[in-house]
Amino acid sequence: VDERLERYAELVVQVGANVQPGQEVFVQAAVEHHDLARALTRQAYRAGAAYVHVLYNDAHARRAMIELGPDDALTYSPEWRQEFVRSCSGNALIATTGDPEPELLADLDGERVGRAVPHEIVKIRIQQLHENSINSCIVGAPGEGWARQVFGEPDVERLWEKVAFCMRLDEPDPVAAWREHLERLAERTAQLNELRAEALRYRGPGTDLTVGLLPNARWAAGSTDTSGGIPFVANMPTEEVFTSPDARRTEGTIRSTMPLPLAGQIVRGLELTFEGGRAVRVEAETGADLVRSHFATIENADRLGEVALVTSESRVGQSGTLFYDALFDENATCHIAYGAGLPFVCDGEPGEGLNVANMHVDFMVGGPELEVDAVLADGTAVPLIRNEDWQLA
Amino acid sequence: MTHDERLERYAELAVRVGANVQPGQEVIVHPTVEHAELGRALVRQAYRAGASYVHVLYSDDHVRHAMIELGPDSALTYSPRWQVALAEAAAGNALLATTGDSEPELLADLDGERVGRAIQTEIAEIRQRQHRENTVNWCGVGAPNEGWARQVFGEPDVERLWEKVAFCMRLDEPDPVAAWREHLDRLETRAAALTALLPDALRYRGPGTDLTVGLLPTARWGSARFRTSGGIDYVANMPTEEIFTTPDPGRAQGTIRSSTPLVLHGQIVRGLEFTFEDGRIVGVEADQGSDLIRSQLASNENADRLGELALVTSESRVGQSGTLFFDTLFDENATCHIAYGMGLAYAFDGEPDPRTNVCNVHVDFMVGGPELEVDAVLRDGREVPLIREEEWQLAT
Repeated sequence: VDERLERYAELVVQVGANVQPGQEVFVQAAVEHHDLARALTRQAYRAGAAYVHVLYNDAHARRAMIELGPDDALTYSPEWRQEFVRSCSGNALIATTGDPEPELLADLDGERVGRAVPHEIVKIRIQQLHENSINSCIVGAPGEGWARQVFGEPDVERLWEKVAFCMRLDEPDPVAAWREHLERLAERTAQLNELRAEALRYRGPGTDLTVGLLPNARWAAGSTDTSGGIPFVANMPTEEVFTSPDARRTEGTIRSTMPLPLAGQIVRGLELTFEGGRAVRVEAETGADLVRSHFATIENADRLGEVALVTSESRVGQSGTLFYDALFDENATCHIAYGAGLPFVCDGEPGEGLNVANMHVDFMVGGPELEVDAVLADGTAVPLIRNEDWQLA
Repeated sequence: MTHDERLERYAELAVRVGANVQPGQEVIVHPTVEHAELGRALVRQAYRAGASYVHVLYSDDHVRHAMIELGPDSALTYSPRWQVALAEAAAGNALLATTGDSEPELLADLDGERVGRAIQTEIAEIRQRQHRENTVNWCGVGAPNEGWARQVFGEPDVERLWEKVAFCMRLDEPDPVAAWREHLDRLETRAAALTALLPDALRYRGPGTDLTVGLLPTARWGSARFRTSGGIDYVANMPTEEIFTTPDPGRAQGTIRSSTPLVLHGQIVRGLEFTFEDGRIVGVEADQGSDLIRSQLASNENADRLGELALVTSESRVGQSGTLFFDTLFDENATCHIAYGMGLAYAFDGEPDPRTNVCNVHVDFMVGGPELEVDAVLRDGREVPLIREEEWQLAT
């Protein structure tokens, strides 16, 4: 038995998804992630799961569909897959990331890759996000392809060490360490919620962006509760405090500071310009077509759904590693997401300001030169982040 | 031929001759995690054959191991709704499954009784209905991998296993598709000759074996080439070397000894010997694994009756390969075999005989070898030799 793997899976099952006795558990993993999926299955049964469902995804099957399948296949949501997703409601869900072949789809027609979204399934997922009915957790699964992407060589052990560091597995009691860490993030959200900021302003190289905030949207972090009252940590690791902005009030330009792996391609040097809440210009060194295809074919993908703040205390940031994976990299530094807003951060009905879209893509904007201020109703600017450090007392 | 060419050629044969995927059909591919390479080639070839969509569901025996070891009792027989929906979606569509166990002894450390009980009852019933109504053009093929190669050769020589599999699959022929058509015609001719004989029973004799099995008057002998109710020809197993029928589950008398090891639910059953009285298994002996068989017989109604008789001769490519594959799909085509459990509704041209065995399991075990003699017993008691020294005796 690989003790580190079992310990990792145990942390994810107990702190991440927080599987309750008698729940069914749904594990979704790339077929290359079977070692972790198996450990998650064992730990979920040990935590008292009534049944553990495992559905493996295969990017090669997806590639064949996009390359060789008919147009109808691109957006098809098979009934059994819809049923799988629907069955997650009221249960626990654990998904893995860590792309085994990040550039697998790179030689395909970007327009077809962008169009290949199973709309019905995404709709169900978004609805579940609204209902907040699933204690879910996403975690990284180290593998050769991912390690090669990160280090230029398939050094899986080195990647495992980085992941274990980010996951605090080096702590004597990782479960206790995680509880303490989650409390610190919760304090920050309390500070921000008290501030009642009207907008955020981002300034840095190539960046001057103002994003309106919603009066009824709270800041959240790490641990949240399902509508049924089960606390869970949706992403592990997590280092962010985040909220959903007013999708109607985004003005200016923001430049991404890290490469963004997306649908089998890598978007580099992404720069978005917003007017009246919508992205009106997309520039990038690579992958601009893919992002443009999202904006053109998916309603409201061109508006913002999330703003998130991360500081240098981040274990991911401290690891000094670019993971080429949004789950990790978004926790290294500040990020923003285009697409769907997060209904669960809203008190009461979300209202029109919260973006609704069949997609949610995080891209990283943080770095030593990024300054983030809270703009209050009276126009006062309160510094939140300077030189990657938290500024609020 | 590079490995990739061989792989695509193999997948193409399984898609075009095996499942015979029709343009516009949806295709369901069921590999295990360890068979991803072949699973992916099957997906590509299915799209190339005009599939409107290819569904892929991987199975994982380690997940199954965790369920049997750590899960509650209710998990053992649970059929999740999404898996039920996928099983139902097969009707009217094509299905490709892979075999070639990568860890044949994976479940050996578990409680044999729980392993035997772990059957998704509702899904098994859907599969049986589709079998009965013959609504799916499907094919099962072997996927060489390290664990399987280790089982066969004692070392993980995957390339050597690939060569054996390619030989059994006739991939060495200049035109494998044409070679397969000719081969299937020969088997069908044999099956027709035996059906025309109207035998009342088969009698098996050999070392440790003297068994008489009654036949059903309207059940025919057939090959693995089938036609769906919608008129699509397909070959359910590749390779296939057998002709088979479904027997009268009320008339089996005597003893039969298995001639090769049987891989079942992650365990290996060796030296299996059954004694029958009035159609039912009344004695189970084995050098190894008898608990698993007894549990399966005890927990599945009618598993103790026979569902299939199959005849194979020395012309078999699998037999010629001289290889024990430790995989039913292959080994059952090396030599004569018998199955306990579910009978074969498709052995009938019209309505199946109501006596045909109904059961949630179907397990083939091998009985053939140079010393096995098989005779057809006619209604007047006359015995007509069918197989001697693995050679076909009946004029066609």
